[in-house]
Amino acid sequence: MGGTAAGTLAIEASGLTKRYGEIVAVDDISFEVGQGEVVGFLGPNGAGKTTTIRMLTGFLPASDGNARIAGHDIFTEPLAARRGIGYLPETPPLYPEMTVESYVAYVASLKDVARAERKDAVARSLGRCGLLDVRQRVIRDLSKGFRQRVGLAQAIVHEPPVLVLDEPTVGLDPIQIREIRGLIADLAAPRDGGRRQTVLLSTHILPEVSAICSRVIMIHRGRKVIDQPLESLLAEQGSLEAVFGRVTSSDSLEPVGEVQ
Amino acid sequence: MRHLGAIAQRELRSFFLSPVAYVVLALWALLAATFFLASVIAFDSEVARLSRLGATEPLAQLNLNDHLIGSFLFSMWFVSIFAFPAITMGLFAAEKNNGTEELLMTSPLTIWEIVLGKFVAGGAFAAIMTAVAAFFPALLFVYGDPEVGKTLAGLLALFLVSLTYVAIGGFASSLTRNQLVAFLVTLALLFLVGLMIPQLVIFGVASDALGANSVLVDVMRWIGAADHFERMLTGLVETRDLAYFAVTTAIFLLLTKTAVESVRWR
Repeated sequence: MGGTAAGTLAIEASGLTKRYGEIVAVDDISFEVGQGEVVGFLGPNGAGKTTTIRMLTGFLPASDGNARIAGHDIFTEPLAARRGIGYLPETPPLYPEMTVESYVAYVASLKDVARAERKDAVARSLGRCGLLDVRQRVIRDLSKGFRQRVGLAQAIVHEPPVLVLDEPTVGLDPIQIREIRGLIADLAAPRDGGRRQTVLLSTHILPEVSAICSRVIMIHRGRKVIDQPLESLLAEQGSLEAVFGRVTSSDSLEPVGEVQ
Repeated sequence: MRHLGAIAQRELRSFFLSPVAYVVLALWALLAATFFLASVIAFDSEVARLSRLGATEPLAQLNLNDHLIGSFLFSMWFVSIFAFPAITMGLFAAEKNNGTEELLMTSPLTIWEIVLGKFVAGGAFAAIMTAVAAFFPALLFVYGDPEVGKTLAGLLALFLVSLTYVAIGGFASSLTRNQLVAFLVTLALLFLVGLMIPQLVIFGVASDALGANSVLVDVMRWIGAADHFERMLTGLVETRDLAYFAVTTAIFLLLTKTAVESVRWR
């Protein structure tokens, strides 16, 4: 699905901006995510994470700027760009009356998985998300943690080059959080022949980032304030908590810390 | 358009996974049986009355199409004004409420695939409802000999007006995430704009000094579904009436497409 030429960046955002009248929700954000990178997209609630993600996934048009997904321009090749993304929105987009399997199969057809491969793709995705035992269950009857798994299963069913997860553990209990986090780590781990999954993981939960991500992009009040490998960031600033605290406590709109 | 089938299929399946479809179909069948029985009784008593009077001329004029099937289908059209808002209220509103709108809009689909897929699903449901209604006139072919052409024209009219209602209801549903709001807006459009207001103007103004030829009356005759529907019930399948159903459906599909697309304008 949506094959990517070697060397192409998975995500290339340049000057993404979203304005609602006078309010600037996202202000000139640029960043790049290489293939196989797992990037934590951090920021306090209301920083503009979801808006940025919605521009990347094609749900909202950018007021300014542009982005490429696996080499496809979101404005001039929107369908190809969307085909390249597996997306789990903040609220998993589920039809409560459908069974797990029929739902994931439906999403597979929407995402252009060829008819002949659909059955295998659905089974593989359900297997990776630990859903084989509940495949015939109606989504309405599942726990919140399992619904989140179904959300992940629909995001990976077409084996997208880029996986975008928006606050995937919000509203879950501690055990469910551990399970989903483990699942995301599994999805991000290298598999069949060392191929790595590119992941953009939006969150405001810091341990989630240290557990899974290799790089951190932090935004605050619609602006990018940090874009750095996790290791060097921790070496400079001590802990993510310290970084987060400094960024969010400053009233200044100027970037904080070293921006690479 | 290759996703159209997948969207229509899912929508149709979801109709039957929710109680709404069954409740609507059950009420539809029950009301069809009731109105059919009423039409049969009315026809029967008219035959008896005319026989008693010895009015051979009017008795010979009496026929199953004009005096039984016609009034039955007319009643079912009236019922459909209340049935279709319930069928279509969830078409788009439920997607907004489930959050699945975000799935559709971030999948490699065109807006037309979404809008037409849902229209096809609603149209399939309308076909089922027309088939249920058709069962009753079909009974008359066992016991009598109604005209096939006239009967089919009447059923076609019921199906076409249903398709128009699916398009209108789909549009109302695309404006809101609240299914009750979609239901009420559709009901207002079908009942007030499509029936009551035109009828009031036609009968009110026609008796007025303006006379029956005023432009307003013509416009209202065109906007209201009644004129087009009744003409088809008499067996006349005319271009102007087919055009009415086609144009109204097309306008509302276009409006729906615009409304669905408008989430991207925010």
